[in-house]
Amino acid sequence: MKEKPIDPITLTVIWNTLLSIAEELGTTLRNTAFSEGVREGDDFSTALFDRNGRMIAQGNFSPGHLGSMPACTKHAIDYFPGETLSPGDSILLNDSFMCSGHFPDCFQVMPIFFESELVGFVACSAHQVDMGGAAPGSQKVHGVTESFQEGLRILPVKFVRGGQIDEDILRLVLGNVRMPEKVRGDLLAQHTANLSAASRMHQLFQDHGIATIENAFELILHRSERTMREALAAVPAGTYSFEDYLDDYGPGTEPIKMAVDITFDGEGSVELDFSRSSDTVPAAINSYINYTRAYALFAIKVFCDELQPQTEGAMRPIKITAREGSFFNPSFPTPSGGRAILQVRIFDAINGAIAKALPHRAMGAFSHWSNPNFGGLHDETGLPFVMYDLSLAGYGGRQGKDGVEALSPVMNCSNIPVEVHETHNPIRVRRLEFIQDSGGPGKWRGGCGLRKDIEMLNSTAVLSHLGDRHRFPSYGLFGGEPGILAETFLNPDGNAEPLHSKGMYDLKKGDVVSFRLSGAGGYGPVAERDPNAIAQDLAEGYISEEGAHRDYGWQGSSD
Amino acid sequence: MIRIAFDIGGTFTDFVLHDAASDVTSTLKIPSTPDDPGRAVISGFAELLELAGTKAEALGSVLHATTIATNAILERKGASTGLITTEGFRDVLIIGRQKRYETYDLYIDKPEPLIPRQHILEVSERLDQSGDVINELDMASVDHAIDTLLSTERETVAVSLLHAYANPVHERAIRDRIKARAPKISVSLSSDVSPKFREYERTNTTVANAYITPTVERYISRLQSALGQQGYQQELFIMQSSGGLVTPAMAKNYPIRIIESGPAAGVLMAGQVGCDEGFDHVITFDMGGTTAKLGAVDDGSPAVASTFEVGHVRYKKGSGLPINIPAVELLEIGAGGGSIARNEQGIISVGPDSAGADPGPVCYGQGGTEPTITDANLVLGYIDPDWFNGGTIHLDKDAAANAILTQIGKPLDLSLGEAAWGIHLIATMNMENALRVVSVERGRDPRTHAMVAFGGAGPLHAARLARAVGIPTVIVPRGAGVGSAVGLLQAAPRIDVSTTKVMDLHDETGEQIAEIFSGLEERAQNDLASLGDVFSVRWSRQGYMRYVGQGFEVQVDLPSGPIDETYATRTIEAFDTAYLKAHKFLDREARIEAVDWNLAATLPQYQQTIKISPMKDDKRPPRKRQAWFPEADGFTETTVMDRAILIPEDIVAGPAIVEDVDCTTIILPGDQAQLSQDGHLIIAINQETTS
Repeated sequence: MKEKPIDPITLTVIWNTLLSIAEELGTTLRNTAFSEGVREGDDFSTALFDRNGRMIAQGNFSPGHLGSMPACTKHAIDYFPGETLSPGDSILLNDSFMCSGHFPDCFQVMPIFFESELVGFVACSAHQVDMGGAAPGSQKVHGVTESFQEGLRILPVKFVRGGQIDEDILRLVLGNVRMPEKVRGDLLAQHTANLSAASRMHQLFQDHGIATIENAFELILHRSERTMREALAAVPAGTYSFEDYLDDYGPGTEPIKMAVDITFDGEGSVELDFSRSSDTVPAAINSYINYTRAYALFAIKVFCDELQPQTEGAMRPIKITAREGSFFNPSFPTPSGGRAILQVRIFDAINGAIAKALPHRAMGAFSHWSNPNFGGLHDETGLPFVMYDLSLAGYGGRQGKDGVEALSPVMNCSNIPVEVHETHNPIRVRRLEFIQDSGGPGKWRGGCGLRKDIEMLNSTAVLSHLGDRHRFPSYGLFGGEPGILAETFLNPDGNAEPLHSKGMYDLKKGDVVSFRLSGAGGYGPVAERDPNAIAQDLAEGYISEEGAHRDYGWQGSSD
Repeated sequence: MIRIAFDIGGTFTDFVLHDAASDVTSTLKIPSTPDDPGRAVISGFAELLELAGTKAEALGSVLHATTIATNAILERKGASTGLITTEGFRDVLIIGRQKRYETYDLYIDKPEPLIPRQHILEVSERLDQSGDVINELDMASVDHAIDTLLSTERETVAVSLLHAYANPVHERAIRDRIKARAPKISVSLSSDVSPKFREYERTNTTVANAYITPTVERYISRLQSALGQQGYQQELFIMQSSGGLVTPAMAKNYPIRIIESGPAAGVLMAGQVGCDEGFDHVITFDMGGTTAKLGAVDDGSPAVASTFEVGHVRYKKGSGLPINIPAVELLEIGAGGGSIARNEQGIISVGPDSAGADPGPVCYGQGGTEPTITDANLVLGYIDPDWFNGGTIHLDKDAAANAILTQIGKPLDLSLGEAAWGIHLIATMNMENALRVVSVERGRDPRTHAMVAFGGAGPLHAARLARAVGIPTVIVPRGAGVGSAVGLLQAAPRIDVSTTKVMDLHDETGEQIAEIFSGLEERAQNDLASLGDVFSVRWSRQGYMRYVGQGFEVQVDLPSGPIDETYATRTIEAFDTAYLKAHKFLDREARIEAVDWNLAATLPQYQQTIKISPMKDDKRPPRKRQAWFPEADGFTETTVMDRAILIPEDIVAGPAIVEDVDCTTIILPGDQAQLSQDGHLIIAINQETTS
């Protein structure tokens, strides 16, 4: 494309303003949200679009919505073409296929008008605390076999007309969800955040005029596409494949194969094909194509172009495919509520393949996270409680560096402090510590797994566990070894009973559940590890003398 | 009474002497002596007293701001420190909060903890969230930990146990045992330093306090003895991050409180200048060589946040170490005179990389090769190459022009002027985005605020920045170059005490709140005894509150006066006001809970208006030079005058440039500037030009 003339200063000003608007939208949303996913996990997204629904800028929030934002906005516009929209309207939708792969993520898309002309859209998504269905949080995995058990499905509706929220629609939604006051608060927060962004977009058009802004949009799409193509062209051409397995989708079920074939053409395009993976499974863990695309795009961005602003242009050279009916491309009504568990693994699979092309960028596999929920009726208040927890551990070894200890992988979450959990829930955390000798040995060691023991103080409760890597360890690369397997035990200090990574269990007062995350994979031959690094690990207690002897052939003694 | 304030920076030590009787002020700027900061202080004192024609004995008090505590952390040059924590929770400090500061960069590292893992020790004990003892403290485990501290030669130790904010009993027992068995080890307790919930932030704050204790102690003692030897027997006060002063004894006990000492003083100065000129709502804009810092003054008082971070990477939130100490609210970004401009894919980027002071901008001629903001301002005609820092440094304009033209202009097909203008504009825009966070995102309407601009580069960008966000008035204070030292003179002693008590306000009768504040007052009284006249204490209360279920609190100024049965209702009303201001909407159906409580005690008797007399009156006749204004389509003949010749009746119409010894102010076309009676330069921004 021939670039139309626009001076670089004006272009920079417009681009910076767009990024600032997308960020501000997200900050507003995060600070007012009720949902733990939004405020602790940044499980939301914001984006700006031109009048044709092409994404011009995106806020730096959940990678899970990276690929779904453009698709979702286009679906919304299909239902409500420009001529059906008026100033003050806003569209609401949450369909798993159209949006980000499960119902709790609600999207709101708002048209922007300037001098009575439709000039673009602002949109945001937020993970709502609940959308109804079989279990609190609408993410139950085991025993859920179709989407209808997962709660309320919203195809695009005009949620706001001429600035007035449609109270009928709101009532319909709130009548179908647990904790309606929180869902209401978050839906309103989304709307308010969109309004503030729309008003800044309006100002931008006012300052520069439609012609200059649209000119800038074209350039932004073009430049970001060019930057991505240059980065992709630098990767050696070829097809790179990798396979890994998810443990299963519930007690007594088979492993799920996660396979990817990545083809770089050497000229600036890449295709990621997940077709060789397993078929969809009868549990709410399948990955709709938008979700698959989101984490595939995330991975490519991490490896090739990590600090460039995100636009639809940068996505053009990246093609993501998966056989229809496969685990990574299901069709409605395949259930998918618990698909969040997959994000680390989609990245791990791509990382394993790309290691062959970009060995200096790849890393050992992550420690797999766990996302258990404890729920029940509180003995003292008689009200329901849900303790939503996130346990996150180490990164795999990298070329030149050991894996980082205890940092959020792929998705970017904060943990929830022990003192906060104990203040709000009838539980006591008994232990939160690294597991010695758990990181995959290697020239550069993988990060450690993490142990977290939680004691139930309520008379009864139900645990819905969501973890993995109990059967297939986090792999190492280039001679680095895998980390140790994850384990979960009931009452570890007495008759320890192993628990399944995706099981549901009844608990009683005094029960302790011990979650032990897998260690991350090592990188490079174990024999090449620097003896000083081994000594350092010993001093800091990340490895024991026995472990040093077993894993590294260490001959010393601490005396 | 005569007072001297001094602010020790990396390059210069700034002094201000104020004589209350004659209302005469003298200022001085001399090179710092980092190997022994006291040396510069002593020679500065002597020079300043001579300048003012007075003697050491006449001195009333001495006020000080310092970066010593910050640097000890940034450079990881603190004490060998240990940590004692609850059994099973050894790794809280290393785990942290786990969020990446860059979503798409998986190659980042976490900040290096101040204590290596082998020096983190566990004791057997447990409290619950109410402070009830679940497991008694096992003294054998304490003794075992002390043995290890001794054998590993720890200078200091932090003690941070789970839920210790709710009950200090176990932490105090451990302290007493350490004092008995190892009296040389200095102890910091989390229940003293930062008694608030969220174990990582509290532990990190306590560890940081322990880590810098010996450094700060030695520094203050040396300073005291150096001053004493010269015959200065007066009380020394030190600035805290909250903008209040403390005694050396308290600074030594809680060195963590003096971390953001200098920048806090700058905001105080800006607040006072705003008040002098009749503005209660002020945005403060301090731009120096490496960074720009934005702060705010609400209703005449500097905005204070309950936490801040030290040691940011890439100026990203979440990349540093969180410190749970009240601090003047400051947003710092990588935009200073030395920030480097680059052409990246046809887009001009400015900062955060900085040429710093060494090699510095290209025009310094010290080996810098990449163009900076200062180079652009020089090429644009905003800075006089022969009048930089009062003519003490000559700038090489040709070298700056050459760097801008070859690295930005030619690749982007821009003229020299356009390229330099692009750098100036993009730098201003980066600051505009930060300013939006401080103003709009935090509920401050720019149209009702004045901007006080200081620091060497602030007044060059202030008017353009104010225009961009719609601020109608810019004030460039007299003595902007020694702003932090001036701020010290305006500070009052202040004590902050806080605690965590999660409480649903709809169920509250007022009794619990009264109990919280009487406990806080008791703690504050202990500290106040060391600060002087406790009868004139002004108390203020803050709550940190949210809707039940939210994860972020808003700071709420709570009503003063007696805490009775209506207090909870009034607290809810105060929350509504604060929440509405911050987020523009209220949820009438949601329940409201308070999480943290803070009590601030200030001793306002020291506060007074300070009028700064000029540092050096160099009066040159008005002159003209070419300067770039896009409103005039490029370079245009621009009036340049010295601030020293202005009198309050003069009206300076833009485009114009006003030069002072330590800073240069740009007046834009359409704007007007006038000197106030107090000598501050007030710029009225033409409202038709703002967006």
